[in-house]
This record gives sequence, C-alpha cells and structure tokens, in this order.
Amino acid sequence: MPVTEKENLLKTVRSLRWDIGDDLHDTLMTDIYTDANRISEKVISTSGKKQRFSWEGTLDRILTGRLTGIPVMLLLLSIVFWLTIQGANYPSSLLSTLLIDDIHPILKSILSTIGTPSWISGLFVDGVYLAAAWVVSVMLPPMAIFFPLFTLLEDFGYLPRIAFNMDNLFRRAGAHGKQALTMSMGYGCNAAGIVATRIIDSPRERLIAIITNNFSLCNGRWPTQILIASLFIGAAAPPALAGVLSAAAVVAVALLGIFFTFLVSWLLSRTLLKGQASTFSLELPPYRPPRILQTLYTSMIDRTIIVLWRAVVFAMPAGAVIWLLANITISNISLAEYIISFFDPFAILIGLNGVILLAYVIAIPANEIVIPTILMLTVLNLNISGVGSGAGVMFEFSDANAYTTLFSQANWSLLTAINLMLFSLLHNPCSTTIYTIYKETGSAKWTWFSTLMPIFLGFMITFLVTQIWNIFFI
Amino acid sequence: MIIDPLSALSTTVIVLIIILILFWPDKGIVWQLQSNHKNSQRVIQEDALKQIYDHEYRNKSATLRSVAGALGFSMDKTSDILDKLMRLGLVSFSDAHYTLTAQGRSYALRVIRLHRLWERYYADETGFPEKDWHKQAEKLEHSTTPSQAAELAQSMGNPLFDPHGDPIPTIAGEIIKHDSLTLNSLKPGNAARITHIEDEPAVLYSQLVASGLYPGMHIYITEKGNDRVRFVAEGEEIVLAPVLANHINVQLIPEELAEDDVSESLINLNLGESAEVTSISKACRGIQRRRLMDLGIIPGTKISAELTTASGNPTAYNIRGAMIALRHDQAKMVKIRRTGSE
Repeated sequence: MPVTEKENLLKTVRSLRWDIGDDLHDTLMTDIYTDANRISEKVISTSGKKQRFSWEGTLDRILTGRLTGIPVMLLLLSIVFWLTIQGANYPSSLLSTLLIDDIHPILKSILSTIGTPSWISGLFVDGVYLAAAWVVSVMLPPMAIFFPLFTLLEDFGYLPRIAFNMDNLFRRAGAHGKQALTMSMGYGCNAAGIVATRIIDSPRERLIAIITNNFSLCNGRWPTQILIASLFIGAAAPPALAGVLSAAAVVAVALLGIFFTFLVSWLLSRTLLKGQASTFSLELPPYRPPRILQTLYTSMIDRTIIVLWRAVVFAMPAGAVIWLLANITISNISLAEYIISFFDPFAILIGLNGVILLAYVIAIPANEIVIPTILMLTVLNLNISGVGSGAGVMFEFSDANAYTTLFSQANWSLLTAINLMLFSLLHNPCSTTIYTIYKETGSAKWTWFSTLMPIFLGFMITFLVTQIWNIFFI
Repeated sequence: MIIDPLSALSTTVIVLIIILILFWPDKGIVWQLQSNHKNSQRVIQEDALKQIYDHEYRNKSATLRSVAGALGFSMDKTSDILDKLMRLGLVSFSDAHYTLTAQGRSYALRVIRLHRLWERYYADETGFPEKDWHKQAEKLEHSTTPSQAAELAQSMGNPLFDPHGDPIPTIAGEIIKHDSLTLNSLKPGNAARITHIEDEPAVLYSQLVASGLYPGMHIYITEKGNDRVRFVAEGEEIVLAPVLANHINVQLIPEELAEDDVSESLINLNLGESAEVTSISKACRGIQRRRLMDLGIIPGTKISAELTTASGNPTAYNIRGAMIALRHDQAKMVKIRRTGSE
C-alpha cells in the first residue's frame, strides 16, 4: 500500500474515532446482553409464572428486619461461639493429655534409653515437638468446630444477610459489610479470617479487612485474656463481683478490639488507602439447604487443615529457638536472661517486663504458646527450682494458686495484668497470619504495615496506661 | 527504676507531634520539601507553555501580566521564563502579547495530552476523589515518558475525553475542534453543549433562535430519526428537522451535566416498585461502571426494589432474577423509567 494511501486511511480512522465516541465499551456490553437475551428467549421456555417462594420473602424480612435483624444475628453468633467453646473443651484436654502429658515423656524416655545426647532430645522433643503439640491441641478442636458451623451458615445463605444488615455501619468506617464476616472468622483464627477476605471483591475494602483482622481476638488469645482477668482483675474485686468483673474485663478488651477495627478502617480509607479503587457489590443468594457432608469436608480441608499445617510449620522452629535461648549459656547465664535484662528498661516504661516482651518475640508463631513461654521464662529468670519442667520446656499449671504464687514472685501487679491484656490484643499478628497476609496481598509493604501498626498501637496504649497509672498511684 | 511519668508523657507527645508535622499526608514538611525540589526549570517552562496554549484556546491574548497571574509567579520571574522559551523557539512575542510557535504548540499539546490522560486514569482506575485528579495529573504530566504515555493510553483503550469532557490531544498532537460535530451526528443518550449556531442563511437562523437555542446551552438527545432530532434543553423538549440540526455545532459533555432533569434515579424506587433502566450516569466511571454492567444493569434491564435494611442503605434489588444489594451512591448513578408496581 502506498504511503500516502495508508496515511489517508489512518487519518480517516482517527477522525471516525471521534464520531464513534467514548462509550464503545458500553455499546458492546449492551449488544452482548441484547444478543444473549434474544437467544435465551428463543430457546428457554418456562411453564407457569416463576415466583419467589413466599417463605423466602418472609425469612428475609425476619433476618434483615429493622427490629429482628440484629438480635437474630447476635443470637446465632452467640450460639456458634458457645458451641465452639463447649464442644472444644473436652477434645482439647484429651489432645493435651495425649500429646503433652503422655507422648512427650514417652518420647523423652525412648531417646534416653537409646542413648541420644540430652541436647538432642531437649532441642527436638522439648523444643520442636512440644511447641507443635501445644499448637495442635489448643488450635485444632475449636477450629474444627467453629469453621464448619460458620460454613453451614454460609451455605444456607445467611452470612450475606449479615453483611447486608451491617453494611451501613461498615460503610461509615469506609469498609465493606462483608468485613463483619471476616471479623467474626477472625475470632476463630486471624489467618482464616484473612483468607476469608477473598469474599470482598473491592480492592480497597479488602485491604482494610485484611489489615484490621488482627483486632479480632483470636482463639489463641482468648485463654490468655480469661486467665489473666480471673487471676488479677477478679482478685482485685470483692469476691461477690469477681466473676462478673473479670468477664467484663475480657469483654471490654474484645470491644476495644472492635473499636480499633472501626477506627483504623476509617483512618485507612481516608488516608493511605484512599487511592485504591473501590466497588461495592453484594449478592443475596437464595436460601438453600446446606450440604452438610460437603461443608464438613471443605471447611476441614480448606480452612482447618491448611491453617493448622501452617501454624505447626511455624511453631516447630520457634520451639527450637525457645529451647536454645533457655539452654545456651554464657558464663552460666542463659541467652534468654541476657535478652530479658536488655528488654527490661523499655518494658517497664509500658508497664510490662522483659519476660513478657521476650515471650511475645519468640512465641510469634502462635499466640497459644505465649503463656507457657512466659511461665517457663519466669521460672528460668528467677532461678526457682522445683517449678515447671526445666529450662526451655514450656508448661502450664493446673490450679490458679500456682499462677498467683509465681506471678507475685515475679513482681506482677494489677497494672502488669492490664497491660498484658491490652498488649495481647494490640501486638503483631502471629507468623502464620503474617505469612497469610503476604500470600493474600502479594505485597511486602502491606505485610509490614499490618505487622508493625498493631505493635505501635500496643506500645502507645500500654505506655499511656502505665504513665497515667503512675501519676495516680505512685 | 521509675521515670517520672509526666516527663515521659510529655516527651512522647512532643516526639509524636514532630513526626506528624514532618510526615502528615500531603502537608508534611518532608513531602513539601520533596515537591519543591521537583519544580525544576523544565516543569516551570512546561507549565508556562500550557498557560499560553490555554489563553489561545479561549481566544484571549497572553500578556506578561496574565501569564504571570495564571502561573502564580512574579512578573520578573515570568519574564525570565518567557525569554527562555523565546530563545528556544517555542514562543514568539508581538503586539505586547505572546503566541506559541508551531513547535511550541505541539509541545504544549503533548503536555496537555499527558495531563488529560492521567486525569482520566485517576477518574477511572483509582478511588481518589474528584478534587485529587487534577492535582495528581499536574505532577505526573511532567515526568511521564512517551512510552509510558502510550502504554497508559492503550491500557485505557485510547480514551478520547478527559473526565471533564475536554478532548485528549492525539499522539500526533491533533485535538478535536469544538465545532466539528453537528447536532445531527449525536445519538440518543448523548449530552452536549451547543458551541456554535450558524447564522447563514438568515431564514434558518431566525427559526433556530425562535426555538430558544443559544451557544452554551446544555442539551440531551432523546430521539434521532431520519426526519427529526428530538432533544431536551432546559427541561423543554425541542424537535428539529435535520436540515436545521445541521446548522448547530455541539461539543459532547459528560452526561451527568445534562441528564439530571431528564430521568429519575434508582434511589427513588420504593420497595415493591419496578422500573426499567435507561442509562448509567457518566459520573460512574471505570471499574465501578464495569461492575454495574457486569451485574446486568444496562439500558432496558428490568429492576425492582425488594428488600432494604434499617437505614435504607444498602437496598437489595431484583436484577435479572438475582438479588443484588446496592449502596445509595451506586443506586443514584442508575437512571430509570418507572414501569409501575407488580
């Protein structure tokens, strides 16, 4: 084709573009729908008039009603949590007896009879095995109950209705109604909650849900809250009120978490994330009878097993690190003790102590092992003999008095307890969760942000509480 | 070891305030310093070229005073910049005003192309609010390489207009003239501004004036046939024969400027009522628009309000057999025609 002819042609094309206009994409879409409509009208025949079943309409009016929507939601979620706690109790103690009380000594004795050096059995059995066993026995039962129940509600079609009910509240915080669901999942496990944010298909709101999921107290942190609240808050109150007050303290911490979820969502959507694209969509699917077996299978495989596996993989090296820190000594003082005394001056500023800070650093794989690590480190640091199971071996007490005695020996006060509860809510996510955040966002930047932002908040809040407390009580 | 709590608290507060002053988004000292540093000579020159182009486009003469005013610089500084541009052969000076040379005009159009492309990008592909589009484009227009620009344009399907309805210059530096479209070339659903009414022959012209049409008027086309054009202007419906319509030049504008008085939005639909979608407002752009269309909301779709929450926001609609919840700010973008209640 001669050059001039080509030039002319291109010129025509360019001028035609202005006539066609800017909405070519819209026109194409409309045409595709029109064609599809014509075809479907030709080939699909319906007998009778299709209508929405009236019971579905009635159910929708109850589940999303002005007066009934929220109470029904609270009731159903309470039932799920109650079933989880009640149902997990027995299998949890069973697993813990089996894995920690029975198998652990057996492994130790087998290794010693075949003449393995004690550092090998210490590192691998007391360290690696015990950490993994602990994580499994605490995590598995609640997750195996919580996630299938949640999936059943999802399958039935109820969860999108919760998102629908709650959307107004979350919209004001710049978030998506479905974040109510990922938050609830976070109460089971933050890593699973973050995987669940895939249901939010708007990029900005999804990032918000991922970053703030850590403010939902997970399964691994509830026991810490309950233990510390009943030991310290309950003890500080008159006996008649002890139970109520310690329960109220735990609820207050959980509510503080919800407060931070909304506050941080609001701030993020107006500052760092305002440039991220946002598109809302929420389908309310028809109600369906849940497919129970399939649900059990998928929620076990997709959520429980994958998350548990990740947790175990991360717990094992941490177990090794915990054991090594407690057992490697330089001039008769363990590495752990050096680090504890290094952390102490800073820890006092935020009303904690070096032991607690070190425990949070080395127990990063799972919040479940924070308390056992604190106990072991406290005994090590105070050089108490006859308590616990030796350097680097995590343990728990079976009665409350033993805790109180140990903690008072370590100079814990009511302030330490309050700060520990706050710090348990506001610190970095566990490494399983951090890894999951990285997998889901694919961005190192947001992973760092989600990791460091809660620690910063935690330091600020505990610092404020401690210093204000000191003004009044010292 | 206990540190005095009051001094610990006040030290921390002071440190936090300093960090905030330094790093506060957009207004922090660190960011201010960075952006000042970026205002190199080239950036200032490009801005000056753009301002002179803008004067010419609006048929105003670019004097030293008016260019200085537009740039926000002193007369001395502006005069230095313009002298430099004249030495570069981009600007010429006569009769106390500045004009662009052919080379200068093509340079200005390249910068304007980048500006409008970036505005379009920010409007369509990001969540930044409208007031930030221009600000971001002002920064990026100076630092985008030609290959980046080509990539950007291609990724958006070579858009023709920026979000304000101004045409984007082509890569060859061509820009559509305001009066190159006639009323006849519009399609139903188009919104336009009248830019020019041909005053010859006088008979036709007086007929057009009698219809109440004037340049600058916003119109919205409702019907286009071989024998007539029907459109709405300022709430009144006007029908013209094609021979008359051919004498009116128009510029396409974003639909939302003209459509408000034309059709109702989905937000007004009460529970149990049904309607037919007539359009999605042009103010709904990019992925938000694609999302609505993906849900099946296109002209002609039947839609009915089914279910709402305590606050009324969001509301669930029946769209092609599926229950879809839409928020108010989405629903108000969907324009409907009522078809009564079922």
